Amino acid sequence: MVKHEDVRAEAKKLLESGKVKYIIAYELGADGWKANPVFIKKPEDVDKIIWGPTCFHNLVRFVVDEKRRKVQQKNPDTRPVGVMVKGCDSRAIVILLQEKFIERKDVHIIGVSCEKTGVIDERKLANKLKGRKAKNVEFGPDENFVVTTEEGTVDLPASEIMADRCLECIAHVPVITDVLFGEKTKRTVPHPFGSVEKIETLSSEDRWKFWSEQLEKCVRCYACRSVCPMCYCDECVADTITFAVSPDTTAEEKAQKIKWLDKSPVISENIFYHMVRAIHLAGRCIDCGECERACPVNIPLRMLNKKLEKEAKLLFGYDVGFDPEKPALISCFRDEDPEDFIR
Amino acid sequence: MDKILAKKDFPRWLEALGAYDVYAPQLIDDVWNYELAADPKAVSLDYPQTAIPAKKIVFPQREFFFEFREADTDDYKLKELLPEGKPTVIFGVRACEGKAVTLTDLVFGGEIADDYYWKRRNAAVLVGLACASPPSTNCFCLSVNGSPHSKEGLDVLMTDLGDQYYVEILTDKGKKLVSEGGAIFHEAKPPDKKAAEKIHADSEKKLARELKNIKDVPAKLKGMFASPFWDDESMSCIRCGICTYLCPTCHCFDINDEVESQTPLAGRRVRTWDTCQFPDFTMHSSGHNPRPDKAARLRQRINHKFQYFVEVWQNYQCTGCGRCITLCPVGIDIIKVVEKVRDHAS
Repeated sequence: MVKHEDVRAEAKKLLESGKVKYIIAYELGADGWKANPVFIKKPEDVDKIIWGPTCFHNLVRFVVDEKRRKVQQKNPDTRPVGVMVKGCDSRAIVILLQEKFIERKDVHIIGVSCEKTGVIDERKLANKLKGRKAKNVEFGPDENFVVTTEEGTVDLPASEIMADRCLECIAHVPVITDVLFGEKTKRTVPHPFGSVEKIETLSSEDRWKFWSEQLEKCVRCYACRSVCPMCYCDECVADTITFAVSPDTTAEEKAQKIKWLDKSPVISENIFYHMVRAIHLAGRCIDCGECERACPVNIPLRMLNKKLEKEAKLLFGYDVGFDPEKPALISCFRDEDPEDFIR
Repeated sequence: MDKILAKKDFPRWLEALGAYDVYAPQLIDDVWNYELAADPKAVSLDYPQTAIPAKKIVFPQREFFFEFREADTDDYKLKELLPEGKPTVIFGVRACEGKAVTLTDLVFGGEIADDYYWKRRNAAVLVGLACASPPSTNCFCLSVNGSPHSKEGLDVLMTDLGDQYYVEILTDKGKKLVSEGGAIFHEAKPPDKKAAEKIHADSEKKLARELKNIKDVPAKLKGMFASPFWDDESMSCIRCGICTYLCPTCHCFDINDEVESQTPLAGRRVRTWDTCQFPDFTMHSSGHNPRPDKAARLRQRINHKFQYFVEVWQNYQCTGCGRCITLCPVGIDIIKVVEKVRDHAS
């Protein structure tokens, strides 16, 4: 089991020695049971750090923010930032390294193993508790969670309340670290692409119907894009500011700029937005599942990404986010790559 | 006179409302939202909180202003597309949402009234449901001039008494709506009134969260505009639109022309929700952005709700529903932020 004290001691050491600028970690939220991201800048604050089954967030998202801040500073502090990562999150760092968005020296990676389980799915838990409110959730000794409500403590098996992403996880131990907490447990995943298997059996009409209904719900808050550490483009087709303007830009040029999609949350625009998002994550999505968790209307966004992950695996034998030395899927060509789609 | 409605008769009331578009909370893919009720029997008011507030019915995320079409001459044909104002009833509205609509009324009303908003607003009947216990763990209505059984903005207030509802008629619109139900409503008796009052009084003691002593916050915020406080508080913000799109009082919008044909040039002018949390919200056509980062945007959200709105309308533009806290993917907590402002050494 990962002990809070060990992670805190490591964080304290890092901050006291000045080896890192600050540490991106998890703290307990105001509701008293769920984790939130926290930025620890002083050694005396390390006791805020926690680790548990509500540490959903992929904190690598804030490594992207740090890079953005740094490029705007005149004399940036070039020390690394410390960042707590789960297995899936660590694969996001691999992608950022592959794509040369960050350098290895920019991050001090504090890995935590999810050991036998992973994070919970809040909606699954709420359904299970039927109106009772959770007060605390902890890892159980086995493949289970210990959930405390006002009515006492219950033991719930991981298969019932764990997030889908964790049920299909192929990297529960971080793949790149400077320090690792927790055991390198062995785990078998019988159905790594289980979440897409059902929909794959449907006819194209039924699939269209399914996605039309799901994407109809979208309110275009862009939480799925914003929470994703892989969505780091400075310009995005979803925003209206995809056009560099200088004092010489004429009114005509501004008026003529291409508007890729309308702001209206209608099915054509919603589908376009979600297709762009999904396709841009092909061979890059590391299945941290944050897009799906963040979605306020519960669109199964992970399914889109998972399908593309499966294509990358089946067509190119490509495993996403394991080896920073390997070229990115989209930017390499090998003689053995399939070409049967060219007709 | 207050009424009593047996729960088993509730579907009959809905069935009698054929002339109305009836919205009620419905659970779709594990998320509650106000949706058109196709089957009156399937409507249950036993629900916690919707993700999207009832504002979406009076202030839809997308609406049309007018359509345009290039004519043969050097001219355009324009046609106004005012909403028809079909009678609409929304069931299960929480007190914080009813109050929120009254705040939005202020913004779209006054000297230059927004016809598009008022067409829908005037046609909408809000049937409230008192919160016997807080629908969310982040409810704090009592701290921002509200209460779990407030009647503000509502036309009818229902209180769940177990196997019946205590029904208070608050406006003429509400009176008409109840009269549609006819004989299924009975006169309430003094013990019923007592029972409802007890539920109301008890509900005030059940809120888990509060935001105390914020009287000086508006003045405090004024002095904190340039404070590095906002950089620290916004560190974990991911710049999405959840806190504002799903806020019952946020009402900012964008206007665009949606072109549907190039020759002849034709399309519609459309209003959609917009949010101060998106970078392009304040982007000037020069390329300058006066609110350049997420610190400035978090500051705007807090300042609007707890300073600017108070200065203009003498009320907080927050009704304590807690959605922005519950649904924020990174746990940014408006209560915590405002408490820190309150306690900030100026």
